[in-house]
Amino acid sequence: MSQARSQSSLALAPFHTWVFPNGALWTQFYRVDGDYLLRFPDLADFHVAADGLSVNGFPAPGVPEGTVQHLYLNQVLPLVLSKQGKRVFHASAVELAGGAVAFLGESGQGKSTLAASFAVNGFRFLTDDGLVLEPVGGGYAVLPSHPSIRLWADSEEALIAPGAATAPPVSFTSKSRFLAGDQVRFCDEPRPLRRAYFLGDGSAETVTFERLRPAEALVEWVKHSFLLDIEERPRLASHFEQVAGLAELPIQYRLDYPRRYDALAQVRAAILAHALEG
Amino acid sequence: MNLSDRISVPSQVMGRSVGDETVILDLESGTYFGLDPVGARMWALMGEGKTLGEVCDVMLEEYDVTRQRLEEDLLNLAGELAEKGLIVRQ
Repeated sequence: MSQARSQSSLALAPFHTWVFPNGALWTQFYRVDGDYLLRFPDLADFHVAADGLSVNGFPAPGVPEGTVQHLYLNQVLPLVLSKQGKRVFHASAVELAGGAVAFLGESGQGKSTLAASFAVNGFRFLTDDGLVLEPVGGGYAVLPSHPSIRLWADSEEALIAPGAATAPPVSFTSKSRFLAGDQVRFCDEPRPLRRAYFLGDGSAETVTFERLRPAEALVEWVKHSFLLDIEERPRLASHFEQVAGLAELPIQYRLDYPRRYDALAQVRAAILAHALEG
Repeated sequence: MNLSDRISVPSQVMGRSVGDETVILDLESGTYFGLDPVGARMWALMGEGKTLGEVCDVMLEEYDVTRQRLEEDLLNLAGELAEKGLIVRQ
């Protein structure tokens, strides 16, 4: 990480932006001299080499180092890994019965809460977000990522006992980041992917599983992909091929359940039973 | 869109068969579109530079369907794909 610097305006327009559901700007993607600049307004800039093999972070003045590290781990690193040709997705994953199950969804759909719920109830989590899959034999392995889980206050209150280790707060979100330990248990070895669950909107009154056709799964995997350069056609095409191979596996389902904390034990039991089938 | 139109698939659009369906992706816009096997066959034939009428001729040999029904389905699909930029009229 480099010294703090002001975020000077750039002559070029960003080629891509991420915005929050409320319309607020979150990230701008620029091309600068053949490399990439990822700008988190008023927080930090990250200079990413064209090949994705090196990253340099520049905090905006007054932004603590912890905030920049948090942005790097949760936002920049998954993008950089995607640039390196890895399969990276917006998903959490937990270890179940010697394998892994992944939960894919948009921000706020419950993937971290679900992973944390397993991780404080006798199971171990592999990742909170930034799911990395590696092809192994005829399937895929889920790689463990950073051993921490980010939760909003209501999920924290429902799931985490007082005294759990947390990372220092960061300046752009009120989410707490819980470090893995005796209470929030982490699996630090790759596990074979047994199931991928795409989370519904919470309108279901009971736990429901619906098998996705390969074509549906392909679209869902692409939607939930991390990709640094959405204009890089060769990479997009290769990613589409990579994901198509994944979508052929008979392991993908849409999962919906009522988003109530008092229903989580029932949800976990249903997922465990479902993941063990077949 | 009519049966004498000749169709092409833009260079930034690619398709991939998964299971018995095909998903089309526009690499530029990020638009996706799923096709059942019949739709996938229509799209593949359109991509060969045939007119829609010629696509119908080929498919009448392959499927048990009336020309009227096939033309309706083909024109509907072609209109929808063109609207999404997944095919263009030559």
